[in-house]
Amino acid sequence: MNKIVVEGLKYKYPLSDTLALDDLSFQVKEGEFIGIIGKNSAGKSTLCQALVGLVPHFYKGAYGGKVFIDGLEVKNQTIADISLKVGMVFQNPFTQVTGSKMTVYEEIAFGLENIGIPRSEMIARIDYVLDLLKIEQVKDQNPFDLSGGQMQRMAIASIIAMKPDILVLDEPTSQLDPAGSEEVFQAIQSLSKQGITIILAEHKMEKVALYCHRVLLLDDGKMVDINTPGKIFSRGDLEQHGVAAPVYTRVCKELGVRKAGTSEFPVTLAEAESVLRGRKI
Amino acid sequence: MKSISLYVDKESFIHDFDPITKLLYILFALFLPLILLSFTVSFISVGVSIVLLMAAGVIRKTIPVFSFVFLVLITVVIIQGLFRPENETILFQIGPLAMYKEGLLYALTITLRVMNIVSAFLILVLTTKPSDLVETLVRKGMSPRIGYVIVSVFQIIPEMMASMSTITDAQRARGMETEGKLSVRMKAFLPLLGPVILGALINTKERALALEVRGFNSHVPKTYLYEEKTHALSKWVQAILLLLLVGAGVWRIFG
Amino acid sequence: MIKVSDLSFSYRKGTPVLSGINLELDQRSTAIIGQNGAGKTTFVKLLKGLLKADEGDIFVNNHHVKETTAAELAKTIGLVFQNPNDQMFKRTVLDEVMFGPLNIKMDKQQAKENALMAIRMVDLQGKLDINPHDLSLSEKKLLCIAAIVAMDPDIIILDEPTIAQDHAGKEKIKQIIKALKDKNKLVMTIIHDMDFVAENFERTIVFNEGKVLLDGDTRQVFSQKDMLKKAHVEPPGITQLAEMLGIQETILTVEEFIHRNKEAARD
Ligand SMILES: Nc1ncnc2c1ncn2[C@@H]1O[C@H](COP(=O)(O)OP(=O)(O)OP(=O)(O)O)[C@@H](O)[C@H]1O
Ligand SMILES: Nc1ncnc2c1ncn2[C@@H]1O[C@H](COP(=O)(O)OP(=O)(O)OP(=O)(O)O)[C@@H](O)[C@H]1O
Ligand SMILES: [Mg+2]
Ligand SMILES: [Mg+2]
Repeated sequence: MNKIVVEGLKYKYPLSDTLALDDLSFQVKEGEFIGIIGKNSAGKSTLCQALVGLVPHFYKGAYGGKVFIDGLEVKNQTIADISLKVGMVFQNPFTQVTGSKMTVYEEIAFGLENIGIPRSEMIARIDYVLDLLKIEQVKDQNPFDLSGGQMQRMAIASIIAMKPDILVLDEPTSQLDPAGSEEVFQAIQSLSKQGITIILAEHKMEKVALYCHRVLLLDDGKMVDINTPGKIFSRGDLEQHGVAAPVYTRVCKELGVRKAGTSEFPVTLAEAESVLRGRKI
Repeated sequence: MKSISLYVDKESFIHDFDPITKLLYILFALFLPLILLSFTVSFISVGVSIVLLMAAGVIRKTIPVFSFVFLVLITVVIIQGLFRPENETILFQIGPLAMYKEGLLYALTITLRVMNIVSAFLILVLTTKPSDLVETLVRKGMSPRIGYVIVSVFQIIPEMMASMSTITDAQRARGMETEGKLSVRMKAFLPLLGPVILGALINTKERALALEVRGFNSHVPKTYLYEEKTHALSKWVQAILLLLLVGAGVWRIFG
Repeated sequence: MIKVSDLSFSYRKGTPVLSGINLELDQRSTAIIGQNGAGKTTFVKLLKGLLKADEGDIFVNNHHVKETTAAELAKTIGLVFQNPNDQMFKRTVLDEVMFGPLNIKMDKQQAKENALMAIRMVDLQGKLDINPHDLSLSEKKLLCIAAIVAMDPDIIILDEPTIAQDHAGKEKIKQIIKALKDKNKLVMTIIHDMDFVAENFERTIVFNEGKVLLDGDTRQVFSQKDMLKKAHVEPPGITQLAEMLGIQETILTVEEFIHRNKEAARD
């Protein structure tokens, strides 16, 4: 079943004279894990915000085309209604604190209070996400007194706790240590396996290649392609679009080794290892 | 970052009472002397409040507040005692200045009333977390948006202070002298105001986004992380306060 | 250039954030890596004099940090903040970058020259009159780098410069680091991007729970997998691949990998 349908989506920010999103069309199935890649200013964040209705409801601006979430058109809904279904983690972790709560624990509760989660469940969910994002040790700290990475973890925890059907994440691990980043991707993957649809904008291509089912490549607001990581990262024109393939792909391209029986290059560590194993190095 | 509230985090039976009861107590302390128009009642009421403040273990925190209030009131006493138009009976004389009984009594009444209100308010303010107070009001039907604004207002000063120290850090990190002599600090202070205010405005916009995706405007009935604070005796205390008030009103009208 | 002895610090009594740090930093470009909350940002704020140590001493180019104001240190040591919003407060991109140079008493002409050059390095010359807050996150980060580079200090510390950067952005930062190194400056960077560490830094220091866990040549540090794991970091992707393929030495970059491969093919 299609969870998200985007048809000819066009969008221009107010006071801007270029299209930030230019005629995008694609569909996403329930439980799919989609990566959005593209150079800076390609439109990744704008697309993310179009899926939660901040574009156009919050920013206004010129909007064309249609976005459907579960068959309901975003343009005709309020952000409040959409927020019950679609959760979003923003790019900048420092600006996602509500400013009305004194502790990390209460900060995570904020969203749950608003969507009417009963207390016992609320507490269970908070404890779960504190553990998932490894921030129990700072739960009583003021949200503003966290390290950058801890703040980003709190932002992710706050949204995951709300258990949205669709999770939109805009570079959610930019400040995380490598282990934390890996844990977050695994957590997101397991959510996707439970049927939650994931949309993730990301510059960490190795992670996109490893975890995403499909990858949407944006350039200048236009969709260049949406396909499997193998297909996308094997494209010859990636660099023209300002994207560098995962390091594993780059090595294999350089060495001219493809995955057995395909025209694709390896995109993950395991794939690269299997094609390079046995070669004399 | 700290909150500006004067709240003192302690354990006492006064702290355990819910904000509504404390609000009701303020009304009680405010209106009872007005209804009864009695000097003695005001006096007793102030006394009760002070006893309660002591019981809550927060009496020391009241000293700065009371000192400030006294400072203001002393001027009232002097001015009224010396210059009130109804002044007739001279109490005593210092040089050319005569202190009159009428003015002094009037000033004393005002002083007592103000003390009365201030001490009743202090019970609420010193023993209740602002967020608890707002949460209680939201539960009683106040709009969560207004609640959010009130809580944010409590945060504005500490937030401005935090933002000021962030910007100061940004400035001294790039060679602007902000430490040391008063004159240096004063010189550094004024150029801060612009960025602090601009920063606050930008924060507001970004925060609005954060609130939106956290379901802030959702129409689902809200739930609460913390159980509503109630005290076993709350209902009784509230009932007694109300009865006394009504009783006083009745006595005033028919008595 | 920097000497740190027995440095300890806590924000609140009873929860030490840094304890007993001893380090000497020389001209080698240095990466600081480690777990979230390990104390990296706190450490560089102490070097910069923005926080005051509870115990221990820091000397920066012979300035005793304890006895010097942050402003006096600014000529010598520059810090690009982790959160760009915390660093920017002027109305336009150009003013923002000129603020530092003017404050350290550079003459106006020179300040403007430096500022424009730094802005060109980060490719923001088309946005001189824009309000910094209207830039995108990646541009804000670049602007903050330019604002420090323009001051031309001997020591430059970058706190997670590559956040939100695409390939081209990282390349720009790489060039800047290289240019600074060529001018014999100490470049120190806190960063979670291991590939970037391997490609750009001679020395790597691993922080863990407020202490220095590892310190040495980047190659040597990345060969200690178990220690890295303890600090919640990992060797770069290419290093992991080489190791899985049974290569004995520690490979740090794609070029090295390819080079070795070609050598092997020739034999
Ligand atoms: N609030 C805004 N007002 C006006 N223009 C905007 C706004 N936000 C983004 N833009 C513009 O829209 C375009 C797309 O920006 P967007 O932030 O979606 O890119 P991105 O792919 O997320 O980039 P990055 O990798 O830097 O996060 C850019 O040209 C940008 O300048
Ligand atoms: N202003 C503050 N008040 C109290 N505690 C703080 C404050 N700032 C940071 N901390 C705490 O100090 C510890 C170290 O923080 P620091 O910012 O130095 O970490 P970091 O190594 O830079 O982490 P990251 O990689 O996430 O940026 C963290 O546990 C953090 O919660
Ligand atoms: Mg973006
Ligand atoms: Mg940090």
